[in-house]
Amino acid sequence: MNAAALREKGLAYLIVGPFALVLAFPFYVMVITAFKNGTEFYDSTATPYWFKHGPTWENVRFLFHNTPYTTWLKNTAIIGIAVVGITLVLAVPAGYALARLAGRVGQSLGVGIFLTYLVPPTLLFLPLYWVINTLHQQDTLLSLILVYPSFTVPFSTWLLMGFFKTIPQELEDAAQIDGASRLKTLVRVVFPISLPGILTVVIFSFSLVLNEFVYAFTFISSTGHRTLSTGVYTDLIRGDLPQWGAIMVAALIPSIPLALLYNAFLDRFIAGFTGGAFR
Amino acid sequence: MADTDDVSARHGRYDRRELLRRAGVGAVSIGVAGSGFGHAFYGPLRFKGRWLKGDLSIIQWAHFVPAYDVWFDKTWCVNWGQKNDVQVKVDHILNTLLPARMAAESAAGSGHDLFFNLSPPAQFEDRVIDHAEIVQEVTRKLGKIGIVAKGATYNPRTKKWFAFSDNYVPDPVVWRHDIWNATGLSPNTWDNVRKAAPKLKASGHPLGIGQSAELDSNMALMSFLMCFGAYVQDAQHRVTIKNKRTVEAVKFMADIYKKGETDEIFGWDPSGNNNFLYSGRGSMILNAISATRTPEDKKLPFADQLYISPIPRGPVTRRGFEHVMGCYTIWKFSPNKAAAKKFLADLEINYKQAFVASKFYNFPSWPGAYPFSQIKKVAGQDPHKPHGKYQVLTVIAQKYTVNPGWPGHSNAAFDEMFNKFLIPKMFAQVSQGKMSAADAVSAANHDISAIYSKWRKAGKI
Amino acid sequence: MRAAVEAVAQARPRGRRWTDILERPVFLASVLISPAVIFIGALVAAPLGLAVWLSFTNATAGSLSGKYVGLHNFRTEWSNPQFKDAVWHTFLFTVFSQVVVLLVAGLLAHALLKDFRGKWLLRFLILLPWAAPLPLSLMGWKWIFDPSYSILDWTLVHLHISGPLTAPHFLATAKWAMASVIAVHAWRIIPFAVVIFLAGLASIPREVDDAAAIDGATGFRKFASVTLPLQLPIATVALLFGIVFTATDMAVVYILTQGGPPPSFSTEMVTTWSYKTGVESGSLGPGAAISLALLPVLAVVSIGMLLFAKRTEVT
Repeated sequence: MNAAALREKGLAYLIVGPFALVLAFPFYVMVITAFKNGTEFYDSTATPYWFKHGPTWENVRFLFHNTPYTTWLKNTAIIGIAVVGITLVLAVPAGYALARLAGRVGQSLGVGIFLTYLVPPTLLFLPLYWVINTLHQQDTLLSLILVYPSFTVPFSTWLLMGFFKTIPQELEDAAQIDGASRLKTLVRVVFPISLPGILTVVIFSFSLVLNEFVYAFTFISSTGHRTLSTGVYTDLIRGDLPQWGAIMVAALIPSIPLALLYNAFLDRFIAGFTGGAFR
Repeated sequence: MADTDDVSARHGRYDRRELLRRAGVGAVSIGVAGSGFGHAFYGPLRFKGRWLKGDLSIIQWAHFVPAYDVWFDKTWCVNWGQKNDVQVKVDHILNTLLPARMAAESAAGSGHDLFFNLSPPAQFEDRVIDHAEIVQEVTRKLGKIGIVAKGATYNPRTKKWFAFSDNYVPDPVVWRHDIWNATGLSPNTWDNVRKAAPKLKASGHPLGIGQSAELDSNMALMSFLMCFGAYVQDAQHRVTIKNKRTVEAVKFMADIYKKGETDEIFGWDPSGNNNFLYSGRGSMILNAISATRTPEDKKLPFADQLYISPIPRGPVTRRGFEHVMGCYTIWKFSPNKAAAKKFLADLEINYKQAFVASKFYNFPSWPGAYPFSQIKKVAGQDPHKPHGKYQVLTVIAQKYTVNPGWPGHSNAAFDEMFNKFLIPKMFAQVSQGKMSAADAVSAANHDISAIYSKWRKAGKI
Repeated sequence: MRAAVEAVAQARPRGRRWTDILERPVFLASVLISPAVIFIGALVAAPLGLAVWLSFTNATAGSLSGKYVGLHNFRTEWSNPQFKDAVWHTFLFTVFSQVVVLLVAGLLAHALLKDFRGKWLLRFLILLPWAAPLPLSLMGWKWIFDPSYSILDWTLVHLHISGPLTAPHFLATAKWAMASVIAVHAWRIIPFAVVIFLAGLASIPREVDDAAAIDGATGFRKFASVTLPLQLPIATVALLFGIVFTATDMAVVYILTQGGPPPSFSTEMVTTWSYKTGVESGSLGPGAAISLALLPVLAVVSIGMLLFAKRTEVT
């Protein structure tokens, strides 16, 4: 290895190392807090960086025994998967059409779809709840499954459009010359190479679902139908004194596997964004 | 405000008797089948207490004293439901999200039969029934409604009871006796507080009267204004904030801040002052008794040193707002209004149980539900030190507590002024030296007047 | 290229099957786009229309009906200093957090292209903020900033950088509060931007790199004349989503500061101000007007950026 390469590597560590530590710092605090003894929270002589009385499973136990945490996980998973499914069904064709086929009208529709994404849910939840009520879906998981695509679809459509543009047109032309219809080309040729891109959309949509809370709070009122975020806010914040330890556990449990998953797919993400091997 | 409790109590491992024992009131019977319960309300019985039917859905906050929720969900509602042949379902929600949820239900025209709020929801007056009927029924049983509840839930302009208040929570001063001892003073007057401020801060234990964008600060500062004879509105609901006394009060508080507090008082959320006290740094806050119950439950080393007193006396008077105000409303579109009405009346008539279950947090809106003399006796049996410390709550409730908006009634304009934190803003302008006291009061007067004229135009005040 | 495809399509014998209609690009395009448009339209159009209508009424407290008052709400808010402040804060919040995001994410993405030991772990750490459900990770931040138990203050005090009574209170002073929400927001967007940047960088064809090397372009000059222009479209996408995430965000600001410390309310954004007015205070009409105030601005910015992204596409 030559000196220049070494220097480059060193530089990479110097840049990535500190930022990674800063970005992950809150998670360190969360891990420590998650296993802290109850009384240590109010003890200003205890170091926040470590344990004074040793780690405890008390908070984990509390979360699983005293709250319907597993139900919230399940609800979140159900909503996430359903929303991702709907998003794909709607966004993949739309993204492709925007990238390859649409004329002026199609483009304006595409922009129109994007613009709906700009409306803040701050107040939109009021008229939307009226719609949910008209559909008799108050306090159901379905209400969220219906509403969430309103922001995952615009996001995914535009992401996918960028992606489809990177697939060489030649591939499709070749297929069509071989006598395949456009639709067939789409299903047999385009979608398979787009898998990485679709994966990207899956994961981004899923994390958008995890982050949403205005609709989740206002549409769902019973504990058994709550999602992760809203359940934690209602059952673990008693009045104004949060159960810090259990909240941190609740935050870490979905975060770590998801980050692992994102990381494992990151190389495919990159391929996804760049259109695979044909660049 | 706040709080928790130990794990077991929160999750219903204690049965009713255990709860009672803990609260030190074993002698009080809380059988739901109390006398006269079955025909408490709503005309002659058709089928011996079985004339109601269907479902009753209730949404309310997750109580700061979790034991209350255990009692409410598992004991009270279950028994009431059996007795009245009604399926009762209770949903709990984080208190800060109540307004959003209430607005959503109102927008959709569908929701829970009973909606519970922590402050008088005057803005929803047109969307809810007139609760007069329930008020009359309870009054017939228990005598006059307390002035706090009346001021909070009755709109004299439209002559409508826009909510039914079941309880209110007194707002005492919670202070560290050991720390104050060194100053030779006690927080019984605001003058003393100011005198002690520099000494307390020097000893590493500043005062904690919030000037933040949150409920506790709002309540504390408006109560402080009243002690100086300054009010946001008068009995006719005209804005009266702009006067000499307000200016004096604002200056006084700025002085307390400079001498005895740090800038953290501007950045609190509702639990900010609680944490400040629990961390052992704070020497005094204004908060409901959850601020002493938590240290008791967590066995914090200074729990026994936490004293409770009425709000300090000001140059004009001694007077404070309640801390929070429990207000139930029944929507015009509620499917089961009849059951909702009877539920509320029965709850209030039997409020003694609720008071005990809340560990003295919730005071009944009708004093007749549990006379102060009896409350005092029960509070005296609380085992926590100093003994009898909770007895003073009755004095606070009887003599020094008024409704938000006093001397007028609670109304939508007052509520908007409250939710936009204009009072903390006025105080903070001066405390941080950004404006003179006179200018800050004028600015507040300008903003508040605009809000009042908007709601007056809407015909609600 | 398009012409060639069309030519091929045209050349084939027509009229054999009804499905041939699907071969017409415009028709196929509408078939493919319309489900998305119909779904979103059905769901969002009506509520959005209602929200627009409400902004012209004096509706109160979630009643979804009110008297038409014309532009009154807009005019009142326009002259309201609190609204102006909210717009200004939103602008600051958006611009500063996006600058931080672009700089940090750009740097990280460049560095992450290299191969080095431990990259997997570091990348995992960088991705964590994006994987955590926001409302929950915000509770983590709330704990970190807690005025009484802040780990940051604890550290400062124990390093003797500040005294116990003078430690900064991050959510309690105007500037610190704004800096805190910007930092937290940047923290959560950075991983997302890193991923998009990585994709953009990886998409630069090898040949371009090689050509630049032959021309003797290295270091900054290569970055400025080759890498940067090629990355523009993807950076535009990252920036566009970043701006939208930020300008319409309510979670970070509301959960951490409830609008910021009095008297300045330095983190009161358009979203929180609209929520306070329309939902918490029951003035639904004015609240709706406030929430719509940003829409035209965002729309113009977005359309501009989308056009820009299209124009600069590397093909």
